[in-house]
Amino acid sequence: MTSLSLKRLAVLALPMAALTAMTTTAHAQEWTPSKSIEFVAPANPGGGWDTLVRTVSRVIQQEGLADKNFAAINVPGGGGAVAWAQIARDSGNPHKLFATSPPLILVPLAGASRYDHTDFTPVARLITDYSIVLVSADSEYETINDLFDALKENPRLSIGGGSAPGSMDHISIAGLASAAGLDASSVNYIPFSGGGDAMTNLMGGHIEAVITGAGEAVGQLGEGSQIRALGVSAPERLSGGLADVPTYQEQGVDYTFDIWRGVMGAPDMPAEAVTYYEDLFAEMLDTDGWQQARDQLGWIDAYQNSEEFGVFLDEQQEQFSSVLSDLGLLRQ
Amino acid sequence: MDALNNLMYGFGIALEPINIAYVFAGVFAGTIIGMLPGLGPISALALMIPITFAMEPSSGLILMAGVYYGAIFGGSTSSILLNAPGVAGTVATSFDGYPMAKKGLAGKALAIAAYSSFVGGTVSIVFLMLVAPLLSKVAVSFGPAEYFALMVLGLTAVVSLSDKSLVKGLIAAVVGVMISIVGIDMQTGTERYTFGSAQLLDGIDFLVVALGIFALAEVFYMLLRGGGGKEAPRNAIGSLKLSRSEVGQIAGPVSRSSVLGFFTGVLPGAGATIGSFLGYSMEKRIAKDGDTFGKGNIKGVAAPEAANNAACTGSFVPLLTLGVPGSGTTAVLLGALLVMGVTPGPMMLEQRPDVFWGVVASMYIGNIFLLVLNLPLIPLIAKILDLPKPLLLSLILIFCMIGVYGMSFSVFDLLLLLGFGLLGLGMRLFGFPAAPLILALILGNIMEESMRRALQISGGDWSIFIDKPISLALLALAVLSLGLPLLKKRRQRAA
Repeated sequence: MTSLSLKRLAVLALPMAALTAMTTTAHAQEWTPSKSIEFVAPANPGGGWDTLVRTVSRVIQQEGLADKNFAAINVPGGGGAVAWAQIARDSGNPHKLFATSPPLILVPLAGASRYDHTDFTPVARLITDYSIVLVSADSEYETINDLFDALKENPRLSIGGGSAPGSMDHISIAGLASAAGLDASSVNYIPFSGGGDAMTNLMGGHIEAVITGAGEAVGQLGEGSQIRALGVSAPERLSGGLADVPTYQEQGVDYTFDIWRGVMGAPDMPAEAVTYYEDLFAEMLDTDGWQQARDQLGWIDAYQNSEEFGVFLDEQQEQFSSVLSDLGLLRQ
Repeated sequence: MDALNNLMYGFGIALEPINIAYVFAGVFAGTIIGMLPGLGPISALALMIPITFAMEPSSGLILMAGVYYGAIFGGSTSSILLNAPGVAGTVATSFDGYPMAKKGLAGKALAIAAYSSFVGGTVSIVFLMLVAPLLSKVAVSFGPAEYFALMVLGLTAVVSLSDKSLVKGLIAAVVGVMISIVGIDMQTGTERYTFGSAQLLDGIDFLVVALGIFALAEVFYMLLRGGGGKEAPRNAIGSLKLSRSEVGQIAGPVSRSSVLGFFTGVLPGAGATIGSFLGYSMEKRIAKDGDTFGKGNIKGVAAPEAANNAACTGSFVPLLTLGVPGSGTTAVLLGALLVMGVTPGPMMLEQRPDVFWGVVASMYIGNIFLLVLNLPLIPLIAKILDLPKPLLLSLILIFCMIGVYGMSFSVFDLLLLLGFGLLGLGMRLFGFPAAPLILALILGNIMEESMRRALQISGGDWSIFIDKPISLALLALAVLSLGLPLLKKRRQRAA
């Protein structure tokens, strides 16, 4: 029985293999994927990376942009480190992509991952979000400078954020404090298990201010809200629900902070494959399906191609390591 | 009667044929997901986001909410039949549910779980409907100091969960706290007990421990005793019917636990698991026959089942009225709502009443569906116990392994499962209770984080825990609940 079915399989498989070979030669110039693409979210379902991976896969499929399927895969663990270690071993694989954002730089700098952004192939930066500083609606602070003046008098003022010390929210507020003339390490940063958790504590009056992602906070702001925004880390005013929130720069603090998200691939991905994906993502950003999803999720397009993204990542690493070393958290 | 009008409006939405179909599909899928360990509501909901994307927001949330409370409803089945909790919220159900099944009362245990879940679910929807906007104030009044005090109060249940030896119970609890510490420390970023392993950086998943020290340890124990099927009760599903006195017995526990569970669920971060433990230990203390808890007392099944379903509904309060998720599952729900263009929060009741009231009304319908769906299935599902013992044991083994592997796709976690199975076996052989370990594992992490956050806010001043009235009251309750049983024991000894 077994040998018979094996033979049958071989009969089927041989012509198929020949067919695949033919298509490969036909597209020798222009690379296209030959099987489904593993699109890894280095975290559990539900987080920022996961949302990006699932949204991108869905839009590409709905708009019919690729012949092959983008399969969303969750590889949680170590704040991304487990997935990075797996992908780093898959050198040259053109069918493996992963979602990325500042932790890819911050986690290695904190000494918690052997691999950093230089170990992978940049494909494209897609979107960005910004940091926002919130206080409760009845707070006495009206501007970002009020908050920092109070902080100078009383360094114990608690500022909550949605992530661990040395990660995005902390870096963002510490960098802001140092741009405002304070010592970066003087911020009493209280880590909560997420931006939502931090905002609940702000509403309950347990902490003085919160630093979190603007996209996460936008639903909480507006009429009848219990919280108020003091400033946002964007270079210019945002639109929609955040149009009333002044930037830090408008308030005389020269500081911006991007919470960017993009796509990277396995180490040493062939150049043709990188080109294919760059173009695919650029095309995706123009579709209606993407624009609708992007607006609903509060994302802002911030496309960069592979080369630009690579340069940007190097700059980010420099910026982050200087803030981290001010904070005494650099462990590299 | 504003609420009544609104509810009628909600039923108008929930009773649309398409929405009835969604409720049914949601609770049906949820029940199945709940029964299988490892396949939790979080991943199921995340996978559904692309499906709900194009839906009317009220329909999408009706479907997803159905999956969520359906999973908590269905999770009791494997806890009772196999000692393998299907979802974290049903661990406490196995304490008495599994002993009942071993006594040949599986049918009754499952029926009690179904009825209690139904009551807990339904009572809590009434609360959700009437007081949700007011309760958002309660939810935010809990800061780090208050959470710490609540967790301390929860930990005092160790006393009632360690039946024979308090010392052994405390040892088990300390081991539980130690396991909860594994991973990257949230406050400093330091690795603790990871031994340089990347797989341990995120800590050890609660279900790996629960499946190991309950289900796998049970398999090992039966193997060790040479269980060739000698003492397995054959055809012993038993009757599903409850006698009038049994209904009377569980009426109190179910109603108390429904209320307690709901309020636990309202607090972000507390949720179904802690709710069910609090319900269980409260009933054990109140009950006159408290010493038969853990040996197959029907109240020990009723209380946690009412509490976990009520907590599940309660967790919709912070989600819908504040727009902040209290748990991983509600975080995914929040994400799904945002994708559908609905922003939950204080303004939602005014801006999108259709979503809020439609979902509330659909929950009444969903709970009825769950009851009608689950009761006739009990005899079928319980047949699993009729399997010859070698087959049943292998089935539990496979069940646990698929569950753990399906969560993380990590072989490392399978080894951990094996390790915890052996630990559980050792604990059984030497008379250490497993429940305190699990309780401490759940509470340990939040307790430590809250304490350190509170102290960081106060600048290291410990008086923050007694300056805040809620925290002070909870700590006083904790002292009482620790002191009274000890005093009682001393008096009994003296007498």
